[in-house]
Amino acid sequence: MRLDEVAIVGVGLTPQVKRSEKNSLQVALDAARLALADAGLRHTDVDGIAARWPGPGGTELAPGSADWSTLLGVPLGWIGDSYPQGVPALVDAAGAILTGQATTVLITGGQAGVLGGGTVAAYTRPGNEFVEPFGAFTATHFALVAQRHLARFPHARRGMAEIAATIRNTGSVNPAAVMHGRGPYTADDVLTAPPVVDPFTLLDLCLASEGGAAVVVTTLERARDLPHPPVVLLGAGMEWLRQQYVDPARYEQVWSIGSAAARKAFGQAGLGPSDVDVAQLYDVNSLEVARQFEALGFCGEGEGTDFALATGIGADGKLPTCTDGGLLSFSHIGWGAPTLKLAEAVHQVRGTAGDRQIARAEIALAAGAGSGAQYYNLALLGRAR
Amino acid sequence: MTELTAGFWSAAERRELVRPVCGDCGRNFFTPQIACPECLSENWSYEPSSGCGRVYSATVVHKASTPGVEVPFHLGIVDLDEGWSMLTTLVGSRLPAIDAPVEVTWLERDGRTVPAFRETA
Ligand SMILES: [Zn+2]
Repeated sequence: MRLDEVAIVGVGLTPQVKRSEKNSLQVALDAARLALADAGLRHTDVDGIAARWPGPGGTELAPGSADWSTLLGVPLGWIGDSYPQGVPALVDAAGAILTGQATTVLITGGQAGVLGGGTVAAYTRPGNEFVEPFGAFTATHFALVAQRHLARFPHARRGMAEIAATIRNTGSVNPAAVMHGRGPYTADDVLTAPPVVDPFTLLDLCLASEGGAAVVVTTLERARDLPHPPVVLLGAGMEWLRQQYVDPARYEQVWSIGSAAARKAFGQAGLGPSDVDVAQLYDVNSLEVARQFEALGFCGEGEGTDFALATGIGADGKLPTCTDGGLLSFSHIGWGAPTLKLAEAVHQVRGTAGDRQIARAEIALAAGAGSGAQYYNLALLGRAR
Repeated sequence: MTELTAGFWSAAERRELVRPVCGDCGRNFFTPQIACPECLSENWSYEPSSGCGRVYSATVVHKASTPGVEVPFHLGIVDLDEGWSMLTTLVGSRLPAIDAPVEVTWLERDGRTVPAFRETA
């Protein structure tokens, strides 16, 4: 078997909301049901799971994914507690399938009933003794990288705001987005929004919301008998510089993180950046979108915002980016958020994105994490050839 | 605090800034790890730092991640003269520029003495 004989055959997203009445396990199970139904499969068809266990309940023993065999009542041939989900889980699933450990893998996750209480989401403020006393949280780590970049390329601030406004406006007209109906926004709205951590205002930064996301991965052979056109894995790459949010990210080390992963992924796929039709970049903030264009080889260092503006990253642009509204406007569901990127890439490639369908979206890029996080991953997905 | 980091915090109680230095290759590193990231030697110890360095990056935090934290405050990365760096609080009314010289000062925070840095006069 080859990489492009691994296919995503089902995607499932629960409603994405600011605060859910459910818990994380319920939304992960809901998303799994939706993804299996979308794939035309039953839970008894699953023989591999990369889902960890979001709680509540479950055993305290790792791997948490094994608890899913109890919940679903199915014996499993393979499990993986992929960290995070999204692309790393897809690569894990592909490995399990390519080595004959499983034929049909469920990836599911998300968060619900965990936000609120006047604090930012717990996953954004790791309890490290060399981080916590100084009041750092995830956005501040990204900000310390951004401040170095803007000292070199001050013009990028305006372009960041244009990027944030464009992606938020894409989400504004997506009825499934958490921020549906909010906006439209201009770059000036972004620049004059309440500041959170310089250079970012509230509108430069992604949401923290609740919901579940799941995908089902299987062999291309099996996929051919299922309802939707199979979306195959053309290439993938990962980079891990160091543990996230402990030792601070240094601009010169982290700015281009993703470039090696992109060379790997594009090399496997036999494609280049100009072949990408839709880019589901990991838009944790406005500058990260520009940074990824630079790191992934779409343009040079310091050119990311100009590239975005000249190319057009809205639905009518030459490179529609974050076509569901992204983490900025659609949803960000913690460790499950990277799976949202896979789901939207799959919808676009197989032509099931509804009103937000981009014409001739044959090759999609889906990504996870970024510079302040000090790791990055991406996958290239396309129709079976 | 762990066995690995207790030496840092007990020095901080005395308002002394220390950092791990490898006894084999001389590398300075931070945060503390069980072995030197240059040569993997576990033969390292906490040595006093001059507390002098330069601002690598700095930002103003306008919104705290938890209630009860006064905003705005200044957060930065400081490169110490001995060749190591740390995430820290920057004190003073003005945000220091990148490359500004700074020196260590100390804050009492949640019952603990923590290092912060201020622009060198
Ligand atoms: Zn050493």
